[in-house]
Amino acid sequence: MDRRRGETRQVRLRVNGQDHVLTVGGPAADVAVTHTLAHTLRETLGLTGTKVSCDRGACGSCTVLVGGEAKLSCSMLTVECDGLDITTVEGLADPVTGALDPLQQSFIDHTAFQCGYCTPGILMSAKALLLKNPRPTQADVQEALSGNFCRCITHYHVLEAVQAAVEAGAASATAPDSRRARR
Amino acid sequence: MRSFTHVTAGSLAEACALLSEAGGKGRANAGGTDLLGVLKDGIHAQGPELIVDLKAVSGLAEVSREGDEVRIGALATLASLDRSTLLRETLPLLVQAAHAVGTPQVRTMGTVGGNLCQEVRCWYYRYPRHVGGPVGCLRKGDGPCLAVKGDNRYHGVFGGRGCFAVCPSDLAVALTALGAVVDIAGPDGSRREVAVEDLYEPTTLTLAPGELLAEVRVPVPARPTRQTFLKFTVREPVDFAVVSVAASLDRDGPGCRDARIVLGGVSPRPHRALQAEEVLRGGDVDDQTAARAGEAAVAGAKPMRHNAYKIGIARTLVERAVRACLDA
Ligand SMILES: Cc1cc2nc3c(=O)[nH]c(=O)nc-3n(C[C@@H](O)[C@@H](O)[C@H](O)COP(=O)(O)OP(=O)(O)OC[C@H]3O[C@@H](n4cnc5c(N)ncnc54)[C@H](O)[C@@H]3O)c2cc1C
Ligand code: SF4
Ligand code: FES
Ligand code: FES
Repeated sequence: MDRRRGETRQVRLRVNGQDHVLTVGGPAADVAVTHTLAHTLRETLGLTGTKVSCDRGACGSCTVLVGGEAKLSCSMLTVECDGLDITTVEGLADPVTGALDPLQQSFIDHTAFQCGYCTPGILMSAKALLLKNPRPTQADVQEALSGNFCRCITHYHVLEAVQAAVEAGAASATAPDSRRARR
Repeated sequence: MRSFTHVTAGSLAEACALLSEAGGKGRANAGGTDLLGVLKDGIHAQGPELIVDLKAVSGLAEVSREGDEVRIGALATLASLDRSTLLRETLPLLVQAAHAVGTPQVRTMGTVGGNLCQEVRCWYYRYPRHVGGPVGCLRKGDGPCLAVKGDNRYHGVFGGRGCFAVCPSDLAVALTALGAVVDIAGPDGSRREVAVEDLYEPTTLTLAPGELLAEVRVPVPARPTRQTFLKFTVREPVDFAVVSVAASLDRDGPGCRDARIVLGGVSPRPHRALQAEEVLRGGDVDDQTAARAGEAAVAGAKPMRHNAYKIGIARTLVERAVRACLDA
């Protein structure tokens, strides 16, 4: 790939386990040099689950996982994403069975959304936390979700939903003693 | 967003050379948490013609100890400072300041270099192009400062000259209290070192086109010091400091050998409260001394029409920070 001033270059993205090769610049461009990752996910790849609200890095609704970490897709240039492994809210469900991620199911069970615009971002921040720390405390959850805003004030339901998913995961996945050893 | 040429730099030297060639019409992009907003809002009359991505430059994200210094690469993320056990043990002030920045996502993406070099948040300066901007002002070299006659509730009360926008970086405040220096790489392979607070001139950063921060070097105190960072914001989290304070006290029983008190949110640069340090240095320190330090810290403040309230906040924060250092 031409890293230098090349008019045309290619960006390889893995999104929800699927590989994409996008051309930046030139007559057959998929992506412009000014496009953000959020824009590319939504407009080029059709993954409209990722939402754009403030588009300035402040609200967290565009949060996706990049290499397992919660990042703001509105504040990343797609040309700078070559080689990244990205998970969006569409990638949370089991690709084979279609079963929802336990976090998603818990959000449904606890009605942890109202308009739902912030929800994909919150789910991805919560997922990033659980990947790093499967047994977070309430304070850990609050801290991890502190960059996600909800205009509809669903925060309390969200905390319950995440906590319930943590407890359900703990009950099903681990015996009580190994559970203590984890954290 | 206006279009630009985009280059992924393979080394810091390459980035410096490209930006030097672009002569002020280029910008480095590190975490992008500040730059993307600047580009989207089109706040400058001319957009950058060249963006140089620094993220592929290797070896610039480390936090390590060498002798009596901690070295922090310019590409180290704020989250990595927040997590660092080395920093927690040697320079807790820096961990507190890094944690006080923005949101978890901003800390995961944002870098130390970008934090120190981010553009000011003055609302005239940031006025978006798509709603009638950009607005010219003294800092942009285009007309007078609009905050002087306008709404200056978030502007400075110390040391403004021409421009009264405050330094938005939380790290700069903590690093100044710790006596840190930045190592600046130039286009010809040169290196120069400046104290963190000297990065900030009233109307600009002291970086020439083609100069980039390579690393920050922080002396580890010879004796463990008491360190506290406090930040007053309108809403918490995600907000820039209305006022912040970084305090570091070298305690000696009830006494205090030395002290550094630095205020943020009040001046174009991190503001050393020298008179407060004077109050604390030498003698015994208790709650009364903390209160006197708070008074001394705001002596000589020159509020603008809408920001005198910052003086009271600064006084209280300094007092609280010193007391926290006593309790610690
Ligand atoms: C919602 C939100 C809340 C925020 N809250 C805070 C806060 O509370 N406290 C705070 O301090 N900051 C805050 N910020 C600012 C945030 O952008 C910085 O904290 C962040 O660290 C910037 O790092 P970056 O790598 O993303 O910078 P970038 O956006 O990549 O760069 C910022 C600027 O620095 C320049 N630059 C980058 N690296 C270098 C280098 N090595 N040498 C020279 N110049 C360089 C760039 O050219 C650009 O002009 C906030 C930002 C957002 C979006
Ligand atoms: S305070 Fe500085 S940035 Fe704001 S309008 Fe005045 S000159 Fe411009
Ligand atoms: S849309 Fe990205 S943070 Fe708000
Ligand atoms: S559910 Fe409406 S913004 Fe959160």
